[in-house]
Amino acid sequence: MIVGLAVTFLGFVIAFVSLGVTDSTGVRMVMVLAGIVVCLFGIMGVITPAYQKTWIWKR
Amino acid sequence: MTKKIVFLFLLVSCLARVGTLRAQTPAPEAQPPAAPAAAAAAAPSTGPITQPDLKAAVQPTDRTNGDPDGSKTGTANDIAVSDPAVGPTVTDVLNQIGANRIGVNFGWTLLCGFLIMFMQAGFAVVESGLCRAKNANHTMMMNFMVYGVGMLAYFLIGFPLQMGGAGAVANLGGTPVLNSEFAIHLFGKDIGLFGNTGYLLMHHGTYDVAVMVIFLFQMVFMDTTTTIVTGTCCERWKYAAFMVSTMFLGAFTYPIFANWAWGGGWLAMLGANFGLGHGYSDFAGSGVVHSVGGLTALACAFILGPRIGKFTRDGRPNAIPGHDIMWVLTGCFILAFGWFGFNPGSTLALSGNGGLRASSVAVNTMLAGMTGSFGGILYMWIRYGKPDASMSGNAFLAGLVAITAPSGFVNPIAAAIIGLVAGVLVCLSCEFVERVLRVDDPVGAISVHGTNGIWGVIAVGLFSDGKSNYGGSWNGVSGNVTGLFYGDASQLVAQLMGVATLIGFVFVMSFVLNLFVDWFVGQRVSAKSELQGLDVPEMGAVAYPDFILKPEPAMAV
Repeated sequence: MIVGLAVTFLGFVIAFVSLGVTDSTGVRMVMVLAGIVVCLFGIMGVITPAYQKTWIWKR
Repeated sequence: MTKKIVFLFLLVSCLARVGTLRAQTPAPEAQPPAAPAAAAAAAPSTGPITQPDLKAAVQPTDRTNGDPDGSKTGTANDIAVSDPAVGPTVTDVLNQIGANRIGVNFGWTLLCGFLIMFMQAGFAVVESGLCRAKNANHTMMMNFMVYGVGMLAYFLIGFPLQMGGAGAVANLGGTPVLNSEFAIHLFGKDIGLFGNTGYLLMHHGTYDVAVMVIFLFQMVFMDTTTTIVTGTCCERWKYAAFMVSTMFLGAFTYPIFANWAWGGGWLAMLGANFGLGHGYSDFAGSGVVHSVGGLTALACAFILGPRIGKFTRDGRPNAIPGHDIMWVLTGCFILAFGWFGFNPGSTLALSGNGGLRASSVAVNTMLAGMTGSFGGILYMWIRYGKPDASMSGNAFLAGLVAITAPSGFVNPIAAAIIGLVAGVLVCLSCEFVERVLRVDDPVGAISVHGTNGIWGVIAVGLFSDGKSNYGGSWNGVSGNVTGLFYGDASQLVAQLMGVATLIGFVFVMSFVLNLFVDWFVGQRVSAKSELQGLDVPEMGAVAYPDFILKPEPAMAV
């Protein structure tokens, strides 16, 4: 889950950094969308499988 | 003959009595003629108000017989004067006009805050109705105490972090004391991170009537966020853990993001600093309130895990119906009523700076709720053959959640579309959360508030029509908020930046804080308590002592 949190946070960082690397609205749009995709991958692709291993009857 | 004389006497007496009564209520034309000076003053004047004008306007008023039509109440006589010996001056009149405007705005904002506070009752009965009877007392008590716990956290820490650097709120008479924002310098700009004044509503001159209004209004918003989480986590959340988790949410998670969006933080300044439209714009909190609550609920649900029996060993979901659909739908109506405080109240005004847009905001709110419920009902009817009641309620709320951010920026047609999409989206999201993520959300709060909160934030960047005018500028950028469909793509980028912040920062922050709670307090009750129902193990009493609860049917695990 910690890895998943890191990946999710990385998505936010990608979006945030777009403010500093370009003034182009289009490029910022692409970077922010990429950041959101990374965030969602962190939640659905990493945290969710880890979480499903911790159900109370699987501990 | 005697009878006739008596009858005539009585008739004359009655007529005389009626005449006396009429004489006590003089007709307008019976009033004494106005003095020449007063008559002159009554003539239309195009010049500035002069002292003689004011002297003439103030006339003695006879109210010994009351004022049934209100014509004698609220006149020039009621202007507050600084020196009674001198009488009203031009300065007094101007001050009174300003006081009236701010008074109207204070009254409106406070009243809307009271409406929002009542939403706590709506959340309480919706969530209690959607849980099983054996957990009703526990769920209701979480909703009861979330009000106090959240408020305490917000009073001690949250409010200064959120609003300490908000600056002047013109519609409430200005709040110059909220002027301390902690910021870092990055990318050549100041990135505001949190406010730093207003502790205990006394620090740095914040014992101020306008600050009190803002505190009350913002506090009930924060409390709405905290009560979203209790729905997702009900039926398995340890009460002590709930209290600590709520403290964290009210003190840190919510105020930090609210500062970024509403308190002069970096998201609000995306327009002024980086040219992204009018910065992140969230009129009444689809993102600030609902997405923060929904994403925190998701984080807590991951940590807590599903209720025993919710999923089979191979991951298939079991339906666990709530115990009282009457409460659920009644609560939805209470919430919809409170939403008229939530959205229209976010103008913070009825007088000046776009205050009259409150009517448009209210209509948008109604429309989106209506289309949301239609969308949900139709989806469920087509897909499952029945208009599911609880999902209809959730779709109603989803429409309201989605319109919360755009309500102040869009036209009624867009509001109806936003609500309709939300009504369908909440059904799809509930299925996704349950069947793909396999997250147990007994009330659907993650979908209603999290998913549709994000949809509302994005909708601002799409549908804002540029017709709203809240004082000529928004977030320090002149002009009106305009979305992609009306020509400003950069506004959509600002909104998506808000979405990335919600998912990538708020969710992670909530997750980490609740992991701490899990390590130090333990989030989940024991399996024995859960199977018994949390009313007795956690609260010491059942919700319905006069009823015998039938054993649950065996569920495949």
